[in-house]
Amino acid sequence: MTLFTRRATLAAGSALLAAPHAVRAQGAPIRLGTLTPLTGAGGPYGPVMANCVRAVITEVNAAGGVLGRQIQLVSEDDQTNPEAGLRSARKLIDVDRVAAIMGTWASSVTTAVAPLCWESRTFLATVSGADSITALPHNGWLVRTQPNTTLQGRKFGEYAIELGARRAFFMAPQTPFTQSQFTNMKTAMERAGGTAELLVYDASKPSLRTEVDQALRFRPDIIVMGGYTPDTTVLLRDIFRAGYTGRKLAFAYSVNQQMLSALPNDVTEGIHTLAPSPAENSGGFARVKRIVGNDNPDPYTCQVYDHVNLVLMAMAAGRDGTGQAIRDSIRSVSQGGGEKVDNALDGLRAIAAGRKVDYDGASGPCDFTDAGDISDCQFRYEQVRAGRQTLLRIA
Amino acid sequence: MPEALAQALINGVIAGTILAVPALGFTAIFAVLNYPNFAIGALATVGAYAGWVGNTALGLPMVAALALAFSATAVAGLVVQWAAVKPLESAGALMMAIASLAAGLVLENALRFGFGNDLRGYDLPLLRDWRFGEFRVGPQQVQNFALALAAMGMLWAFLRYSRTGRAMRAVADNRDLALLRGVDPARVAAVTVAVGAGLAGMGGMLVGLDTSVDPLVGTRLVLSIFAAAVLGGLGSIPGAVAGAIAIGVAEEVAVLAFNPAYRLVVGFVVILAVLTLRPAGLFGARAS
Repeated sequence: MTLFTRRATLAAGSALLAAPHAVRAQGAPIRLGTLTPLTGAGGPYGPVMANCVRAVITEVNAAGGVLGRQIQLVSEDDQTNPEAGLRSARKLIDVDRVAAIMGTWASSVTTAVAPLCWESRTFLATVSGADSITALPHNGWLVRTQPNTTLQGRKFGEYAIELGARRAFFMAPQTPFTQSQFTNMKTAMERAGGTAELLVYDASKPSLRTEVDQALRFRPDIIVMGGYTPDTTVLLRDIFRAGYTGRKLAFAYSVNQQMLSALPNDVTEGIHTLAPSPAENSGGFARVKRIVGNDNPDPYTCQVYDHVNLVLMAMAAGRDGTGQAIRDSIRSVSQGGGEKVDNALDGLRAIAAGRKVDYDGASGPCDFTDAGDISDCQFRYEQVRAGRQTLLRIA
Repeated sequence: MPEALAQALINGVIAGTILAVPALGFTAIFAVLNYPNFAIGALATVGAYAGWVGNTALGLPMVAALALAFSATAVAGLVVQWAAVKPLESAGALMMAIASLAAGLVLENALRFGFGNDLRGYDLPLLRDWRFGEFRVGPQQVQNFALALAAMGMLWAFLRYSRTGRAMRAVADNRDLALLRGVDPARVAAVTVAVGAGLAGMGGMLVGLDTSVDPLVGTRLVLSIFAAAVLGGLGSIPGAVAGAIAIGVAEEVAVLAFNPAYRLVVGFVVILAVLTLRPAGLFGARAS
């Protein structure tokens, strides 16, 4: 009996080893990764983003997964730091062998991680805005759902002019988007007869008093802040202390509710903010609200919701759970007409039934150019009043 | 431009005085225990959070919150010393420094686990600066400056007049001789770590008062603290104060001359120059 068992075991083992790789892999889970900032300046956003992706994947797995395979999510922390982001991306690619990485937030992290992705044929979906990212030679291995900084810079300049400003002082830490943001803002202001000056500060400095003195010597009628939440908090305190009472304009991601809770209302009153607007009347946005349990989900969570839905549907459309299939098929599910869907469950059902889908998500239509930029985006104009963001318009 | 320079000098002296408090803690630990405690940044963060809890949750006034910051960080410093550094004492100063670095990371992430990444602000009104002609100075800056001076004054009195303080100086000057005179090295080490860490915590709270509190508030100071201690001479108490003020002034004045994004270069250049030209630092003859 023992001999038979041993023979049987050997035979079964040999047969298993001799079987084609595909047979053994059939039914194995497909791995996807999120690389969001769980700590550092992006820390307020990354955990919610990762949880949103997990919720979508759980829902899809409960409905049978993709191509008959379950999806396994591996979430890593980029610490809002390119060096840490690169280490985590290596782990996701080399150890976990994910087909796609979703949700890189800081432009510096995305810039560092992107070459690793295209070299390893791992698809990358990002919410970073720096112009330089889609100008990289990624050959289709990258898309982003955030408008680029050429567009954002122009919007900042036009809005500053609309607010009646003619002399803008732009203060920002060193990031991959600082220069292009400033150049495009300056061009927009100069076109309307205004002018702008730039000061790049060190984001780790506990006080920016001397930098604010530099800014005030320019006699600005608007100070534009291009940093992240921790350094913008320091900057706002020092602007207030210096007695500046002119207009202030900033990214909405830095002047968030956490900052507004941490600073006295006097300091933040009247700040104008700009942000790419989620598609607030869409079905996708309603789903994100339900997932995060919040009526006002941030734009990055909306974008990463779109990433995971697009990636899941692209694998189904490409009939393969690999980065290559996602790269080759993502535009066949994101644009080009077909059945309108706002979630992967409906999309996967339609694809399985042989129908073409056209995904419109929580962040917008998600139609991508050849370079990987989105082709359409609305902006959300808000102003801080009594410690809360007040919506002025979406345009 | 002269006004800008003078204003930068004022800002630098005030920033340097606040920086001097954790720099004193760092250099005191180095003087007695002969290793650089790189957990100093995380300990400063512990102090910032302890003070914040005292001020906002317990409603303590500023001086009492500062005392709480000192006490909580002293305890945290002792835990780091006993749990992470002391077991590696026989492996040498480098291993102890690495252990402190690792313990600092653990502390920082424990705080992040407990308090999250959100920015925390003290329950204080933010006041506009006082203006004197072309110059300005903030009421909070002046208060912090006074608190930093008071902390340094108390440390000086402790080291000069108390029995334990004199024992600490004795061990720093000549460890073997101090042992021969019956000084208990374990007790002196514990007191030094508690005082050094407590000072770091006070420094963290003072910086938090001027800015806001987050899990990286102390870590951002580490390079400047280290540069200040190296410039003054590792292990020298007056050196740490002089070094911190010099670094504070250099960092502010550099903003006028260079792109402010390169401020960190100031710390590195100072460390490089001191190690090249005068390894003992300005006041640290014994460090050579």
